[in-house]
Amino acid sequence: MTLFRQFIVRALLGDRSRSAVTVVGMTLGVAVVVAIRLANTGSIRGFATALDVVAGQTSLEIVGSGVGVPETQLADLAWLRDYGRVSPVIDRTARVRAPDGTETAVRVLGVDVLRDRPFREYRLLRFTQEGRDLRPQEFLELMLDTSAVVLTEQFGKRHGIDLDTPVELIIGDRVHDAVVRGLLLDEGPARVVDGQLALLDIAAAQLLFDRLGWLDRVELQLFDADAVDPAVRSTRIDEAERAIAARLPEGLRVQRPAQRGRQVEQMLAAFHFNLTALSYIALVVGLFLVYNTVAVSVISRRSEIGTLRALGATRRLVRGLFLGEAAVLALVGAGLGLPVGWLLAWAAVGLTSTTVNTLYIATAATVPPLGAGDLVLACAVAVPLALAAAAIPANEAARMTPVAAVRDADRFAQLGRLPRRAAWLSLLLFGSGAWLARQDAVGGLPIFGLGAALAVVFGAAALVPVLLDLVRRLGRVPMGRWLRVEGLLAHANLSAAVSRLAVSVAALVVSLAMLTAIAIMVGSFRETVTYWVGQTLQADLFVATADRAPVGPPVTISAEAERLLASHPDVVALDGFRNVDLTYGPDSDLIILGAGDFEVLMEHGGLLFKNPADGRAAMRRAVAADAVVVSESFALKHDVAVDDQIDLDSPQGTRQFRVTAVYYDYSSDRGLVVMDHATFARYYGAQRPSGLSLYLEPGVDPEVVRDELLDVVGREHQLFIRTNGALRAEVLRIFDATFAITYALEAIAIVVAILGVATTLLTLILERRQELGMLRLVGAARGQIRRMVVIEAAMLGVLSQGVGLVVGVVLSLILIYVINVQSFGWTIQYHLPLGFLAQSTLLIAVTTALAGLYPARVATRATVGDSR
Amino acid sequence: MSARWVVGAIALATATVMVAQEPAAVPSEGWRQVEAGYPLRFPRDHGSHSDYRIEWWYYTGNLSSDDGRRFGYQVTFFRIGVDPAPANPSRWAVRDLFMAHLAVTDIETGRLLTAERLARAGVGWSGASVGTLEVWNGDWRADLDGESHRVRAIDGMFGVDLHLEPGKGPSAHGRDGISRKGSEPGNASYYYSMTRMPTSGRLVVDGEEIEVRGASWMDHEFGTTFLEEGQVGWDWFSLQLDDGTDIMLYQLRRDDGDRDPNSAGTWVEPTGASTGLEADELVLVPGRRWLSPSSGAVYPVEWRVELPSRDTHLDVVAAVDAQELDTDASTGVTYWEGAVTVTGQVADRAVTGRGYLEMTGYAGRPMSEMFR
Repeated sequence: MTLFRQFIVRALLGDRSRSAVTVVGMTLGVAVVVAIRLANTGSIRGFATALDVVAGQTSLEIVGSGVGVPETQLADLAWLRDYGRVSPVIDRTARVRAPDGTETAVRVLGVDVLRDRPFREYRLLRFTQEGRDLRPQEFLELMLDTSAVVLTEQFGKRHGIDLDTPVELIIGDRVHDAVVRGLLLDEGPARVVDGQLALLDIAAAQLLFDRLGWLDRVELQLFDADAVDPAVRSTRIDEAERAIAARLPEGLRVQRPAQRGRQVEQMLAAFHFNLTALSYIALVVGLFLVYNTVAVSVISRRSEIGTLRALGATRRLVRGLFLGEAAVLALVGAGLGLPVGWLLAWAAVGLTSTTVNTLYIATAATVPPLGAGDLVLACAVAVPLALAAAAIPANEAARMTPVAAVRDADRFAQLGRLPRRAAWLSLLLFGSGAWLARQDAVGGLPIFGLGAALAVVFGAAALVPVLLDLVRRLGRVPMGRWLRVEGLLAHANLSAAVSRLAVSVAALVVSLAMLTAIAIMVGSFRETVTYWVGQTLQADLFVATADRAPVGPPVTISAEAERLLASHPDVVALDGFRNVDLTYGPDSDLIILGAGDFEVLMEHGGLLFKNPADGRAAMRRAVAADAVVVSESFALKHDVAVDDQIDLDSPQGTRQFRVTAVYYDYSSDRGLVVMDHATFARYYGAQRPSGLSLYLEPGVDPEVVRDELLDVVGREHQLFIRTNGALRAEVLRIFDATFAITYALEAIAIVVAILGVATTLLTLILERRQELGMLRLVGAARGQIRRMVVIEAAMLGVLSQGVGLVVGVVLSLILIYVINVQSFGWTIQYHLPLGFLAQSTLLIAVTTALAGLYPARVATRATVGDSR
Repeated sequence: MSARWVVGAIALATATVMVAQEPAAVPSEGWRQVEAGYPLRFPRDHGSHSDYRIEWWYYTGNLSSDDGRRFGYQVTFFRIGVDPAPANPSRWAVRDLFMAHLAVTDIETGRLLTAERLARAGVGWSGASVGTLEVWNGDWRADLDGESHRVRAIDGMFGVDLHLEPGKGPSAHGRDGISRKGSEPGNASYYYSMTRMPTSGRLVVDGEEIEVRGASWMDHEFGTTFLEEGQVGWDWFSLQLDDGTDIMLYQLRRDDGDRDPNSAGTWVEPTGASTGLEADELVLVPGRRWLSPSSGAVYPVEWRVELPSRDTHLDVVAAVDAQELDTDASTGVTYWEGAVTVTGQVADRAVTGRGYLEMTGYAGRPMSEMFR
C-alpha cells in the first residue's frame, strides 16, 4: 500500500495536467452514460408512476379498440360487478387558463365520483380543513354542473386559484368557462402529475370532450384486490383477467393498467436504446484516455520499474500497481461523473421531452434522484472497462526485464511488429463489422447493427498505428519541402513517438469518425425530410389545436370551428385528419390509425409512395373498400407488403384490411395505417378530426386568408393555423431540436479527445526537454520551437480528421442503412453534407493546433539543464 | 309515510346545491306537485313516477328460520330527482340519484348488518321503470313475479333474496292515497302500503344461507315537496297484529316539542279494508330510551300506543335496541329503523304482533333547516 501511495498516487498528483485530463475524460464519459440512463428512465418512470398513482387501486381495465369503449356495450357488461367495483373513466388532456393569465396543460379525469372514490382517494382541501371527510353525494353535487371543475391545491397555489375562482378550460379549440368547485389535497394522483390534474364529472367530460356515448376505459377494482400477499393478489388478478377476457365481446380487451405504460415503453425503446448506445461513445473515449495515462506512466517510468524489479518486486506487483492506477482514475471519474451526469440528465430531459413528442402532456418527466444503484452502475461500468483498457500497458510493464528497464534502452518503444499486428486486427474488426451489419434486428433493437458500428470504430482505432507508421515512412520528404526544418523536426518527433501517440490519436479518430457519421446521417435525414415535406405538405393552410397528445386520445377540432373555416370563400377544399392509437400484432405494438379524405388526397397529392409507383391508383382502390395504405415503418416493422391482408381491432371486433400501398412517412416511427375517412367512420364511428388541411383558391395569399380565418374563428376557438411555409419551417425546427442532443453528446466526446491529444503532446515535450534545450543551444529560435510543436499538433489533428472522415462515411452507412432501418424503419436518402464536413475539418485542424499552443509554450522554456 | 328522513336529507342537499348555483331555482321547479284526482292503479303505480321529485320503495319484515331464529330486514330503494331535464345529453348526466339501504337484524345475537348504495343511472346500472314494479341499484332489485314481489339485495356476506306474496293487496293512505305532510296543499305525497305480504326465501348472514318465512310490509310513496319549516323529525310504526289487523301510524314532531297536526295513521282490517286515523285519534307515548354510543342520539325504544277510538292499547318494544343506521356513504343521515314486538289489547282481546319502527330527527343537524 505504501508502495502504491509513493509510486502511483504521488506520480498522479505530480503530473497534474495529465491526471486531470484523464479524470475529466472519465468523468465526462461516466456522466454522459449516467445522464442518458437517468433521462431515459426518468421519462419512462415519470410516465409509469403517474400511471400507477392515477390508476390507484385499479386492478384491471377494459379498453376498446382505438376509439374507446362504446357505452352501449358497457350496459351489457353488468356482470363485471361480480368481480369488483367498476368505474368508467374519461382520461384526456386540456389546458387551464388561470386568472393570472397562464395556460397550463393538465390531465383531465372525467369520473363518476360515486363509483370512482374507492379507486383514487380524493380529499378536498376545504373539507379537510373543516376536519371532516366529504360525503360522496356532496362531492358529486359539487361537480354536477357542467361548469364545475376540481383542480389541485398545488395548482391553486401556483396560479392564485381559490374556491369559486373562474377559470377557462381549453379543450381542443374550444374555450370553456368553468368555476373551481374544489381543490384536491396535495396527495395521490394530484401530487404525481405535479398538481396538473383536473377532475370533471363524467357527464361534463363527455360533453366537453366530444365523447358522448363513449368512454376512454372502464376500470375495475377486484373485491379481493387488497389481499395482503402481493403474490396472492397477482394470481387473483390473473385469474380474473383470464375469466373476463373470455367473456368480453369482440372489440373490447381487458388489461392491467401497467400495460399502457409498457406500450409507451416499447414505443420509446428504440429511441432510448440508440441514445444509450451513443452515450457509451463518450465512455469509450474516456477509456482511451485511461489507457493512454497508464501507458504513458509505464513508459515514462521504465527505469523506476526496473529498479523496483531489481529490488525484488514481482511481475504481479508491478502489474497490480498500474492496474491500481487505472482503478483510481476510474473511481474518481465515476464519483465525479455521477453528480455531473445527474445535472446533464436534466438538460437531456429538457431536450428529449420536447422531441419525444412531449411524452404525455401533463406528465412532467423528471430525473429520478441518484441512488446507490447508480453508484454501483457507474463503478461497475467504469472500473472493469478501465482495468481492461489499462491491462495492455500494465502487462507491458510487468513483462519488462529489470536490465532493459534500468538501462532505459528504448524509451520510445520500438514499433517492431506493432503496425503489422494492428493492421491484421483492424482487418479482422472491419470484416466482422461487415458481417454484423448484415444481421437482422433483435426484438426491434439494432443490437447487431450497433455491434457493427462498434467493430468499425475499434477497427479504425486499430488502424491508427498503421497509418502513423505510414506517415513516419512517407511523410518526411513532403513535410520537409512544405514546412522546412520545423516540418522535418515535427515529423521526426512524431515518428519517434508513434507507439505513444497511437492511443490518443485513436481516441480522436473515433470521436471524429462518430461526428462525421452522425453529421452525415442527420444531414441525409434532414435532406430526406425536407424533400418529403415538400412533396407531402400540399395544402395551403394547416389547422391544429394548440395541444397535442402524442400518446392516447387525440385532441380534436370542433364542428363549429370546422364550419367557420370551411365557410371562407377562398377555401376550396378541406380535409380532416383523424387518428387513434391502436394496438397491433402479437406484441400489442402501439400504432397510429389515421383517416383522411382519399378523394382530396388524390386530387391535391399529399402522400409520397414507395410502392407501388402509381400511388394514386392504389389509393383509388382503397376507397370504399376494406383497404388501407401503410407507412414504410409499419410495413418494415410488421413485415407487411402491398396486397397483404392485415388484422385491425375495431369496436366491431377484429377486421381484415388489404394493404394497397406503402408510403414514406417520417412523422412517427410508430407505424401508421391510413384509411379513407368513410371506411374509418364505418368501423370506428364518427370522430372529430385532430387536424385540418385547407386548400385555397389559386392565386390568393395564404397569409391573408390565414389572418382572416383567425379573425373568423376568433377567441372562442383556440386554433393554430399555419401556412405551408410556416409548417415546413416548424417541421425542420422540431427535427433540429431532436438531434441537438446528439450533437451535444458528440461535442463532449471531441473535447475530451482533443484534450487527450494535447496532454500526450505535453508529456512528450516534458520527456524531450533535454533535446529541446539542445535545439535551443544549437540556435533554434523560440518561434521555431513553438511552430514545430504546433505543427506536430495540427498534423495529428489533420491525420485524425482524415481517418475520421473515411471511417465516418463507413459508419454513416451503417447508421443509415442498418441501425436506422432496424430501429425506426425509415428510408433515408444518402446525402453528404460537404459544407459541414469541410468546416469541421478546418475547425479540427485549428483546434488541435491551438491545443498544441500550451505544450509549445512549455517547450520554448526548455533548457539543457532541465531534468525530467 | 314510512318516513325516510333520509329523503329529507337528500332533498336538503340537492336544494342547497341548486340554490347555491342558481339563486332563483326552487327544488320543486320542473317537478309535479301532488294534486287530488289521481287514482292509484296497479301494477302501474308500483312503477316509478318520474315527474315527481322524490320516490321510495320500502320493504321491511319479520322473518324466522325453521329452527326458530328470528330476523328483521329492511330493503329500501330511493329515487331522488336532481334535475328533471338535464341540458347535457350525456347518459351520465344526473337526472335522478338512486340510493338503497339494506339492513338485517339478527334478533338472537342482537346484531345489525347494514349496507347502502348511491348511484346515478348512467348506462342503466341503476334505475326505476315506469308502469310496473322494477327498481334496481346495481344488482339489488325489486320486481314483480306475477303479482308477487321479488326482493334481492345481497352485499357480499349478507343480504336477502325473498319472494313476497301480495297478501291483502295495496291499501291507500290519507285521502285517496294523498298523505298530507304540511299545511301547504302541495306538501304531500301519494302513499300506499301492502301491509301484510306472506314472505319466503333466504337470508344470507355471514355468508351462511338461511331459509326463512314470515311477513313483510311494503311502502311506496312519491311526491315533490314533503315537509315544512319547524318539522324536525318523525316516529313511524308499521304493526302487524296476530288477529290479522295491520296498523300504520306516524307522528311528525315540531321543533317546539309539540306534535304536528299533520300526523295520521291507517287501520287495515284482516279483509284488507282500511280506515284512516286522524291525528287526534292516536296517542304515542315514548318509554325507555337507548343512547346510541356511535351518534350520541337518544331514541325511545319502547312506546305505548293508544288508539282510543279503536279501544286499542299496545306496547311496542324494540326487538334489539341497537338498530341505528348510519348512512354516511349514501345519504349522511343517521336514523333508527328496526324490528319491534307488540303486545297489548284490542277491545279487551289480548293481541301480540310484530312490526317495524322508524325514528328520525334524533341525531345530526336540525331538520328544520331542510325545508325553506
